[in-house]
Amino acid sequence: MIKAQQINYRHKEFFILNDVDVTLGFGEFLAIVGPNGAGKSSLLSVLANEVKTKQQILFKDKNISDWAVTEISKHKAKFSQHNSNDIPLEVKEIVMMGRYPYFDAQPKAEDLQATNEMMFETDVYHLKDREYNTLSGGEKQRVHLSRVLAQLQNEITQKLLFLDEPLNNLDIKHQYKALEIIKNFTQKENSAVVVLHDLNLAAQYADKILLMKSGKVAAYGTPQEVFTAENISDAYNFPCTICDHPITSNPMIIFG
Amino acid sequence: MKTPSKLYFYVALSAILLFFIAVWSLDTGVYDFGDRSPFEILGKVIQGDTSVSSSDKYIIWEVRASRIVMAILIGSMLSVSGTSLQGLFKNPLATGDLLGLTSGATLLAAITIVLGRHFRAFLPEVIQFSLVGIAAFTGSLLAMLLVYRISTSGGKTNVVMMLLTGVAISAIGFSLVGFLIYISKDDQLRDLTFWNMGSLAAATWTKNAILAVVLIFSFSILMPKGKALNAMMLGEKDAQHLGINVEKLKKQIIIITALMVGSCVAFSGTIGFVGLIVPYILRLLFRSNYAFILPLSAICGSILLLTADTFSRSIVEPSELPIGILTAMMGAPIFIAILMKFKKSMQ
Repeated sequence: MIKAQQINYRHKEFFILNDVDVTLGFGEFLAIVGPNGAGKSSLLSVLANEVKTKQQILFKDKNISDWAVTEISKHKAKFSQHNSNDIPLEVKEIVMMGRYPYFDAQPKAEDLQATNEMMFETDVYHLKDREYNTLSGGEKQRVHLSRVLAQLQNEITQKLLFLDEPLNNLDIKHQYKALEIIKNFTQKENSAVVVLHDLNLAAQYADKILLMKSGKVAAYGTPQEVFTAENISDAYNFPCTICDHPITSNPMIIFG
Repeated sequence: MKTPSKLYFYVALSAILLFFIAVWSLDTGVYDFGDRSPFEILGKVIQGDTSVSSSDKYIIWEVRASRIVMAILIGSMLSVSGTSLQGLFKNPLATGDLLGLTSGATLLAAITIVLGRHFRAFLPEVIQFSLVGIAAFTGSLLAMLLVYRISTSGGKTNVVMMLLTGVAISAIGFSLVGFLIYISKDDQLRDLTFWNMGSLAAATWTKNAILAVVLIFSFSILMPKGKALNAMMLGEKDAQHLGINVEKLKKQIIIITALMVGSCVAFSGTIGFVGLIVPYILRLLFRSNYAFILPLSAICGSILLLTADTFSRSIVEPSELPIGILTAMMGAPIFIAILMKFKKSMQ
């Protein structure tokens, strides 16, 4: 799905990303984890072609900047970390933005259907006539989640979703629900690259983990391979113990 | 969702309203047509009936009808330019006059009037108008680029910088136009005063034809941009992810609004606040959904300016009140209202 090699990205003399390699297969859920300032969001921006680098990023074996803007928006979507707080529109109008690549002037029946379905999935359907600006932080997050999901409702196979800290402000139930939705999405040959802060959630849901530290890849592999006490204490500079999750037997990280 | 039919309903409703205002405007004025109604004469003029006296024909066709059409064209373009600029800067205060586009256009138009006297008389009418028009367009484009460069960085607009740059450009324009007035001759002085006050009294069919061409060209590019302007509210990067070519969109809006403001200034001088009033009222009704307010602002701008112009030439008959006074009286309180709302959201 995505191949990127030796990505360098710097601000003046400071390397934000330094020789990062990323490969993402079809149907893979990749979680990017790491301490603050490790370059997680920057890596996501580079992969999503928001900032240009000298190195090539191949999306479906074609250089990502060679894709037409309108075409690629049906193959990939991105959920950003800093969503605007002030959008004087109704919730349903914002979710409908996800369908903009599909209609010209007026939404078609399938666009309405896609937005309604996704609003149900993300549990914002009851808010659809509300002013976006009156929602709480977590509700706003869910509106945008529903928007990016609606954007990828189409017949194309092997789609890609980028999510930058999608769980911010969400309560426990909606954190799990959001990850379930992403997991379901990746089980249909689609892929997702997600920046997460909660290592335990990452261990439970992700297929692959990319652990970053100061702009470099500290470890990459399955949760079992990456989440070792040594890797994590080293990256976060904080002691931790690893044990098996009693139900899923994935690694469980206890800090302190 | 019944969105499309709702939009068509409001468009049809406001178009009907505009039509009735145009009828009322045609019937308003000091000239006495005797026992015949202005509509009867207009009908005969259109049919090419020769029984109409030349003064009747002149008043109805060259004075009233052309002025009404000009009010419709100018009002529409000023209002749409305001709406588009507000979408680009993501702020309801962005309008051609507050950002200094109008001042930039006035300044270059004034320079052309005063310094262009040596060659102007040798050119045919269309080129003469175009000369001032091109100068006005250049002036507003330069002002626009300056405001955009100074007030936005990384896709974010600093509203204070945006307004202050507008103030600065207006100050430059004001002082230089003042200087030009000081050095100009009598006939140029009359032209310059007209530019500063703003008026639709100089309407002719040649001007209307040029304005109509500019309007059709501009609207054909801007009107389908409702979706894109909505997406811009998410931020430029997210708009890009939704398949919108953000760089191209910004360039188009910058050039087209400069073109519209420049043409309006060239033909009617500085008529302020239309681009502020109309989107403000539409936002109260439809929030910021540009798919709605962009087409509606085109018609409602015409309604506003035609109403204001008809009042301006009828309340102090047989004299005329400068139209800028009326629009400013409506616009300034709205400016304050937006500022107060803005203050609340900043706290």
